[in-house]
Amino acid sequence: MALDLALAAPKTYLPQPCSLVIFGGDGDLAWRKLLPAVYNLNVDGVLPSHFAVVCFGLPSTEAGRNTANPDEYIRERARDGIMRFSRQPLDEDHWQDFARMLFFVPGSFGDSRAYMQLKTKLDSVDQQFGIPSSRVFYLSIPPQLVQMSVANLGKNGMVNKADEPVAFTRVIVEKPIGTDLDSARAVIRNVAAAFDEHQTYRIDHYLGKETVQNLLVLRFANSIFEPLWNSKYIDHVQITVAEDEGVSQWDLETNQMIASRIGYYEGVGAMRDMLQNHMLQVLCIAAMEPPHSLLPNVVRDAKVNVLHCLRPMTARDVKENVVRGQYIEGSEYGVRVPGYRHEVREFYRMRNEPLPPHSVNSTTETFVAMRVFIDNWRWSGVPFYLRTGKRLPKRASEVAIQFKDVPQVLFNAKPEIPLEPTVLTLRVQPEEGLSMRIVSKLPGPKVRLYPVQMEFNYASGFGRTSPEAYERLILDVMAEDATNFMRADAVEAAWKFVMPMLDHWKQERVLNLPEYQCGTWGPIEANNLIEKDGRQWRTL
Amino acid sequence: MTHFHELVQAPLKLVQRELRNQLAQLQGEGEGPVQRLRMSNLIIYCNNDEVGARIHQQIPEVVAVHPARVLLLVGDTTIPEDHITASVQVEAHSLGRHHQACTELVLIKATGPAVDRLPFAVRSLLIGDLPTNLWWAAPIPPAMGGVLLYELAETAQQIIYDSIGWMEPARGMAATASWLANIERGAPGERWRVASDLNWRRLKYWRRIVSEALSPASAPGAAESVSELYLEHGPHAVIQAWELASWVVRRLGWEVQGGKLQEGVEMGWRFATEHNPTRVRIHRRESGPPELCKVRISCHINEQPVVMNLQAESETRLSIILEGMESQARTVTLPPLSAADLVGRQLSDRARDPVFLESMAVAQVMAQGLLG
Repeated sequence: MALDLALAAPKTYLPQPCSLVIFGGDGDLAWRKLLPAVYNLNVDGVLPSHFAVVCFGLPSTEAGRNTANPDEYIRERARDGIMRFSRQPLDEDHWQDFARMLFFVPGSFGDSRAYMQLKTKLDSVDQQFGIPSSRVFYLSIPPQLVQMSVANLGKNGMVNKADEPVAFTRVIVEKPIGTDLDSARAVIRNVAAAFDEHQTYRIDHYLGKETVQNLLVLRFANSIFEPLWNSKYIDHVQITVAEDEGVSQWDLETNQMIASRIGYYEGVGAMRDMLQNHMLQVLCIAAMEPPHSLLPNVVRDAKVNVLHCLRPMTARDVKENVVRGQYIEGSEYGVRVPGYRHEVREFYRMRNEPLPPHSVNSTTETFVAMRVFIDNWRWSGVPFYLRTGKRLPKRASEVAIQFKDVPQVLFNAKPEIPLEPTVLTLRVQPEEGLSMRIVSKLPGPKVRLYPVQMEFNYASGFGRTSPEAYERLILDVMAEDATNFMRADAVEAAWKFVMPMLDHWKQERVLNLPEYQCGTWGPIEANNLIEKDGRQWRTL
Repeated sequence: MTHFHELVQAPLKLVQRELRNQLAQLQGEGEGPVQRLRMSNLIIYCNNDEVGARIHQQIPEVVAVHPARVLLLVGDTTIPEDHITASVQVEAHSLGRHHQACTELVLIKATGPAVDRLPFAVRSLLIGDLPTNLWWAAPIPPAMGGVLLYELAETAQQIIYDSIGWMEPARGMAATASWLANIERGAPGERWRVASDLNWRRLKYWRRIVSEALSPASAPGAAESVSELYLEHGPHAVIQAWELASWVVRRLGWEVQGGKLQEGVEMGWRFATEHNPTRVRIHRRESGPPELCKVRISCHINEQPVVMNLQAESETRLSIILEGMESQARTVTLPPLSAADLVGRQLSDRARDPVFLESMAVAQVMAQGLLG
C-alpha cells in the first residue's frame, strides 16, 4: 500500500535515497538548525529508508579534536543541538534510530587526504544503508572555502554527471553568495566548474518558511485576493525583518561578550546580510505575476522577472530612497545593551588583535530601510517599503499589504477618527500566520467604527508547529525540487539592484551613520523616509 | 465561565513564549483552537505597588467590556534598586462546549532607573494592527508625567487619565489644558491621538441634566439669567466639579473676571456675561463619596427668580428640584458605572471631544484666575 502511494505521488515530491554530506557539520548552523531539522524529518517519517548523514570538517571543540571516535562525538553534539533547538522534543527511540545513521569525518577542507577519507566513508555508508551512491553536499561553510571544497570534491571523483540517472550528486550552497556582484559571479562560476545549474541549490531559508510558501497559496488558490493584487487597490506594501538580537551576545551579569558574529558582520552589514537575499526574495513572491505552472523553473522565472522590474537607483535616488543606521546603547527587553561600535572594539580586544582601521569608527549598517518601485503594469506607482535591522524591539518578520482608502463618502466623509485602512499581514516569524485588519461597527445605537483583526495562526489553527524552513528545504533538494532555491540569474539580478547603493555608500565615506537606540524601531531618518509620503511604518 | 491562569514570572524576552504556553494549556483534547480576544493593546502605568494592585483587580472587569492585551506597568522610582520583572497571566472565557477564548495580561514591575526602560519593554510586547491605548493610572496629572509618558504614548491612539484625586487641582488643570493642546494629533498623515479624562466621562449625565435644566424650551430665560452656579463635591472630586463648571461657563459664553481660592474649602470666580455679572463657587464637603454631589443654579425662569437644585436622588438617578416654583422633580437615570467599566467603555471611544477641549481651555483661564 505504501509503495502504491509513493508511486502515485508526483516524482518531485519524493525524497530520494541519498547521503546528506554536511560540510561544516560540526559548525554552528549544523548544531542549531541542520541536524535538528534532519532529526525532525526522521521523526515525521518523511526520510527514505536508504539514508544517512555524514558530517565533514574540522571539529570546532576541544573534545572533537581529541576524540578517538568521531562518530560518537558528532552524535553527542547532534543530541545536544536537538535537545536545545529541535522543534520536537528528543525522543529516545527516535534518537537511537537517527544516531545510527549519523557519522563524522574530521578533516580540513583544503586537505586532499581528508576527501579520500570522506569518499571511503561514503562508500562504506552506501553499502551499509543500501544507498545508490547518491549524495547531497550541503556546504555550510564560509564563502571563501566554497571554491576549494567544490574543486576537491570534483578532483576526488565525488561529483557525478548531471545526467546520471540513479547516483545523483547535488550541492546546497549557503548564503552569503558573494559580497558584491563580482564576487557573487565568482562563487557561481566556481560551483559551476563542478556542478550543473540544476544540480545546484542556493538556499535562502526564508523561502522555506510556511508563511512565505503560503503567500503563493493565498494569492493563487483564493479567488478574492488576486483581483485586488495590483496598483488599483493596493496603496503600498511593507516588508519588515526585525531582529531583537545584536551582532554579539552578552553576559549581562558580568558585562562580558560571550559570542559574536562581528568577524563576519563587520564590513558586511544589513544590506548584504538580509536585504539583498531574504527580503528581495520575499518581495519577489509577494509581487510576482501568476506562473503558468508550479514547475520549479516556471516559478523561478516569475520571481526573477520582479527583480528585473525593480527601478534601478542612481546616487541621487539612493539618497532619497535608502536610509541606513547603526545601533547605539539602549535597552532590549528592559536590559541595557551596548552599541555596535562598542561590540566591534570589544571583539578585537578579546581576540588581542588590533582594531582594523576601517573599524575604528565602524560605518557598518545594522539597519536599512528603503522605498523601491516595481516598474511593471501591475505595480506602477505602488511603493514597497523594506526595512530590516538588528536590536529592534522584537523579533518579527512580516509582509503587510495595505489597501487603498475607501472614497471620501459615507463613513469616510469627515469621520470622527480617520478610517484605518484595510491591511493584510503575513507573519513570517515568530507565530507564523496571517491576519486581516478591517473596520467594523461597534455594537450600540450610534454608528461608531473600530478596526478589528481577523487572525489565522498556523500553530493553533492546525494544532501543531510548522516544520522548520530547513526541514522543508532539505527535503526539497532530496526530491529534486528547486522551486524554493535561488537560481544563478536571480542572485545576479538581486546584486545588480543593490550595487548602486553599496557603491554610493562606499564613495560617500560618511563618518557616522544615523543612530538608533537599541530597542527602538530604527533611526528617525527611516521615519522621515516613509512619512514624507504621508504614510507610517507599521507597529509590529 | 472564566478561568484564570496563575501569574507566572518570566524573563521579559520570554513573555511571548509563556503566553503561548498558557494558551496551549487551555486547549483541551478535541477542542477547537483557543481564540485570543483583543480589540486593542492596553498599556497601564501605575506609579507604585498599591495603585498597581488596585488596578490589577479591575482588569477582568475592563477586559470584559473591551478585550485587550493588557500591559500593566508598575514603576516605582522611590525604590532605588535597578530592577525589572515580568509576569504573565492568561484569562480564559468559555465560548461554548468546545471553544475557549482568552485575554492576556503582562505585569511588568520596575524600580529605580529601570522605570525609564519601561517603554523599551512595552515596544516588544505590542500587537501590530491593533489600536494602542495608554491608561495613565498614576494619580499625578499626565502633563507632569515627563519623558516617560511621552515614550509610553509614542504609538498610543488614546491616552486615558483620571483627574480624580489630583493634589494641586489648579496647577494640574492649568498644565493639563496646555498639555492637551500639544499631545493630541490628527492632521492628515499623522498618527491619530486623543486624550480622555475619566472624570469627564463621569460627568456625562450631569451635563445632560444641566443642559435640560437650562434649555430655553423648558426654562425660558434661565440660561441668560444665571446669577450663581454653586457646586458641591466630596473629597478628591474638585476637578470633576471644576470640569462641569468650566463646561457651563464655555456653553454660556461667560468671561472670567477674577478668582479666589480658599485652600481645601472653596474656590470661586466672578464672570462677566452679556446680561449681568455672575459667579461660580465650588465647595468641598468634609466627607462623602469622591464625586460631584450637588449643583445649584440661581436664575430666573420667565422672569421669576428660581433656584434649581440638581443632585443625586439615589445611586441610579439624578434629579432637578426647583425652589420658588411649583413643579415635579425631573429625573435622569444614571447607569451604575464602576471605574473599570468607565475605562472599558472609554477604550473603544477614541473620537475627539471638542466640547471637552473647549471646556479645558476655559478651565485653564479659570486656573490662571486663581493662581494669579
